[in-house]
Amino acid sequence: MGYLDGFPVTFKKIFEGVTTRQYRGGRDATTEDKAPKPERLHGRHVLNRYEDGMEKCIGCELCAGVCPAKCIYVRGADNPPDDPKSPGERYGYVYEINYLRCIHCDLCVEACPTEAITETKLFEFSFTNRDDAIYTKDELLVGDDGMPQHMPWEDWRPGEDEFTSGWMRATAPGGKAAFEGKVGWSGELGYGVRAPEAGQTAVEIEGTEGSSSSGDHDHDHDDSHGHGGGHH
Amino acid sequence: MTSTEAVTGVPFTLNGKDLEADSGELLIDAAERHGVHIPRFCYHPRMKPVGMCRMCLVEVDTGRGPALQPSCMLPVTPEMKVETESEATKEAQDGVLEFLLANHPLDCPVCDKGGECPLQDNAYAFGPGETRFVEEKRHYEKPIPISDLVHLDRERCILCDRCTRFASEVAGDSLIHFIDRGSQTQVNTFPDHPFASYFSGNTVQICPVGALTSAPYRFKARPWDLDAVESTAAVDTTGARVVLQSSQDKLVRVVGVDSDAVNWSWLSDKDRFSYGANNSTERITEPQIKSGGSRKPARWGDALKQAAGALRGPADRIAAIGGSRMSLESQYAWSKLLKGVLGTDHVNAQLGDGLPAALVLGVDRATIAEACEPGGVIVLVGPDPKEEVPTLFLRLRHALVEDGASLIELTPRATSLSNLADVRLAATPGTAGQVMAALADGRLDDEVGTVASAELAKAHELLTSGRPVTMVFGRANLAESARYVADAVGALRRLVPEARFLPALRRGNVHGALEMGLAPGFLPGGIRNRRTNFGRWPSTPEFEGKDTDNVLRGCLNGDFDTVILLGADPLGDFPDQKLAAEALASVTNIISVDTFLNESSALADVILPAAMWGEYDGTFCNMERRLSPMRAKVTAPGRCRPDWMIAAELSLAIGPDLGFVTLDELQAELSSSAGSFTDVSWDEVASADDGPVLSTDRNWDLEFGDPADLPTGPGYGFRLIVDRKMWDMGTTTQQATGLGGLAQNAAIRLAPADVQLMELVGHEVVAIDQGDFQVEVPFVSDPAVIPRTAWMPARLPGFDARQLVAAGRSITQVRLHLPDRDVTTGSSGSAEGSGANG
Repeated sequence: MGYLDGFPVTFKKIFEGVTTRQYRGGRDATTEDKAPKPERLHGRHVLNRYEDGMEKCIGCELCAGVCPAKCIYVRGADNPPDDPKSPGERYGYVYEINYLRCIHCDLCVEACPTEAITETKLFEFSFTNRDDAIYTKDELLVGDDGMPQHMPWEDWRPGEDEFTSGWMRATAPGGKAAFEGKVGWSGELGYGVRAPEAGQTAVEIEGTEGSSSSGDHDHDHDDSHGHGGGHH
Repeated sequence: MTSTEAVTGVPFTLNGKDLEADSGELLIDAAERHGVHIPRFCYHPRMKPVGMCRMCLVEVDTGRGPALQPSCMLPVTPEMKVETESEATKEAQDGVLEFLLANHPLDCPVCDKGGECPLQDNAYAFGPGETRFVEEKRHYEKPIPISDLVHLDRERCILCDRCTRFASEVAGDSLIHFIDRGSQTQVNTFPDHPFASYFSGNTVQICPVGALTSAPYRFKARPWDLDAVESTAAVDTTGARVVLQSSQDKLVRVVGVDSDAVNWSWLSDKDRFSYGANNSTERITEPQIKSGGSRKPARWGDALKQAAGALRGPADRIAAIGGSRMSLESQYAWSKLLKGVLGTDHVNAQLGDGLPAALVLGVDRATIAEACEPGGVIVLVGPDPKEEVPTLFLRLRHALVEDGASLIELTPRATSLSNLADVRLAATPGTAGQVMAALADGRLDDEVGTVASAELAKAHELLTSGRPVTMVFGRANLAESARYVADAVGALRRLVPEARFLPALRRGNVHGALEMGLAPGFLPGGIRNRRTNFGRWPSTPEFEGKDTDNVLRGCLNGDFDTVILLGADPLGDFPDQKLAAEALASVTNIISVDTFLNESSALADVILPAAMWGEYDGTFCNMERRLSPMRAKVTAPGRCRPDWMIAAELSLAIGPDLGFVTLDELQAELSSSAGSFTDVSWDEVASADDGPVLSTDRNWDLEFGDPADLPTGPGYGFRLIVDRKMWDMGTTTQQATGLGGLAQNAAIRLAPADVQLMELVGHEVVAIDQGDFQVEVPFVSDPAVIPRTAWMPARLPGFDARQLVAAGRSITQVRLHLPDRDVTTGSSGSAEGSGANG
């Protein structure tokens, strides 16, 4: 058969049907519902405001300093005395995130001393040029309603802009359970002071007793401590 | 320890290890030397310990049981047992930090010190981790600008006394102090007196918290995005060692480095903040050619071609002025181009405000350390060091205050060191040479000019006491001839043959320029012009060139076709403004190699844009002939290039190849051509802490002749003193962020006695009448001024004193009178006349 020897596989596969599928909830999917996203999903960032509309970012560059991908560029400047942008002396004069580099590790959020930068659950933003990939402060900053701004190339779905902050402070920075359930963060425009997420202590106690009735989001903890030991 | 010889090796025990300290060494230093770091805030190795902060408490047992003692106040004694990590020490450190943090605000994220803060570091390393203090912290108004350059945030202050000690102990101007008591103690300035020190930036550098921050650096970057390289400050001839720090390819900060030989970690504010000019938007960034009266941007090739065309004429019709801004390597390249290729000797790095090259090159040079030798005698015949060589001022002051050195001051006005001088010889302009000659000849019984015989006797006794003598010499007065300084140097050499000399010239790398032959009559290495072949140079000049004075005068006579300005601005900088303006207006071609468009480069036919300090690699040669690296930290803007590359390209455009395309090749050729550079190891220059000093066996037999006679003027009365202030209308100062406004308005300074005599009390201005030139300027009554003299710094806003100076005169006299009235006060008789009218 010569050069046609390789083709039986090809012809066989042609008639097997398509393996590639639209993921559930994608832009062209038949159903509008997306898969529910975990509360701690790391998506596109926002810069928050206080309830009075002041920017939370003080331009301290800790996020840029901690960023392993070096995708954040921040410059601080003196707050204009007659029109302060943020409380205190300094505000973020330039704030840029390059999403071609960002790996959504969330270290910037952990480093931020004012809870200014947090992450939404939006991860579908397919820009078509490099300029769009570099989000400037104007694009990252939440609007006057406290809601993230929607860029034309972003596919926002309801709920993706909620829970962008507050949840990560369920315990003290030092990890002491004594702080569990206590609000240790500032209010934010559009949402007020967010409630803490369910504590970990309760989950852990239930886990060791073999119960799986706790929330989905902390399953990893249960596995490593409770169940893992039980099986052996 | 009663014997005079130093007892080396005081045995003591540190954390159980038997070690040795030097005699008299403080425990904190001895521990550091042996690798044990004791935390501290107030202790600074260049200042006296005070034991303010208590952070360095360690457990010390001197035989009476262990007790906590501050290690910065405690010299090591024999058999001392020290524990730096015991429980008691740790508890003390915890307690001290908890107290310090009780009122220290937690605004580290917005604090410029955050990330490089000793308080942060020590709190992490030695602190308790948690605070028990829940009360409201003490609050003050957030940063208050205590000067144009420094902000003070009193909330952050931990009262370590470093800045206040620096101001009083090191700089000698105690403009900041502790005020109030107890928990309300704060550092502040006196009411309505800004912290207007020339050294204020140092307090920012040594502040262990963010209480003092610098205005130009405020919020420009955080420590973790800084990139740094070590270099040398080039704004004056002291050559202070610095670190250049940049962020995003922009210079954002300059920090002093502790060089034991030179600046002891201190910088003047000019050293520290001049970098701002690099970031100015008014830089020349591309070549420009003037055509039909207007300047147009041009390509390098076209600009070089036009410049080369202007240089094709006879060599003796070409002159070059300037070059002290450049690196040693660039100076060599230009020297080779001008003298070796073009063959002109009309080359001057100094603009009539310096000293003859032979005098600077040929006297036995002292190092700064030798000049400041404990117990030595310093003779100052020159400018106010604080204004023109400020880092040297700090060293001289330390020698006088702490090290028992004596000062003989022979200056036309009282300087910043006068209150520390043992003898002040108040010599009016034109008399310094005669005063020193009287000392040399032992004529001590008669007064010389305004100098009393008692003062002469005191000075003579000091000079002949056998103590090491160093003369710090420079141009104290631009309105009198440099001749008198040379006379004084010659006379001192007769009196004290082993005296050493430290030239206090002002202009950046001017010593490098003189070493590289940018002076008439010299080739690189201080070699006289006379030889016909030199190194690998195509030729050498066939005639002896003129100095800047005579070049400019020659321009008026049509002796020159082309003038090359190597970063020089004669219109703004030459002592005789009128001559400079007329001279440049009458030259056919002006080629300017510069960084900014100034009064002179604006006249140029071709402007070649040069890279600035911090944008090129090279070498600096300071007043001691110490070589230290100048390094590139940022990219030069636009199409600017290092000066030596411009010289090489220009030479190619003319024809000959200068023979080097890299800095290494240039340095190799420099070493092989210039005799005194044969032994220079360029690796050592680049890496040594202090840098090597060129060998100084050049004690030339200079011909001084007899000192000039005391000048006798036509009786105008007031001998004029014109000098320079640190802050003036100079291009760098005006272009750097925050410095432009520091230049004070011009005022003529008169002795209080003269103000009384002329009945000027109650007036604000005095009229200056030079015959063809009348002007009214504000005056100040100043006891620093000798009667019958008038002192006016040049290049200040309002009125430029250079308009009064005529180059070539031995001294300049001015006629002063009351405003709006034609009354001469040239003699006491006419002063009475003005009194009658008043």
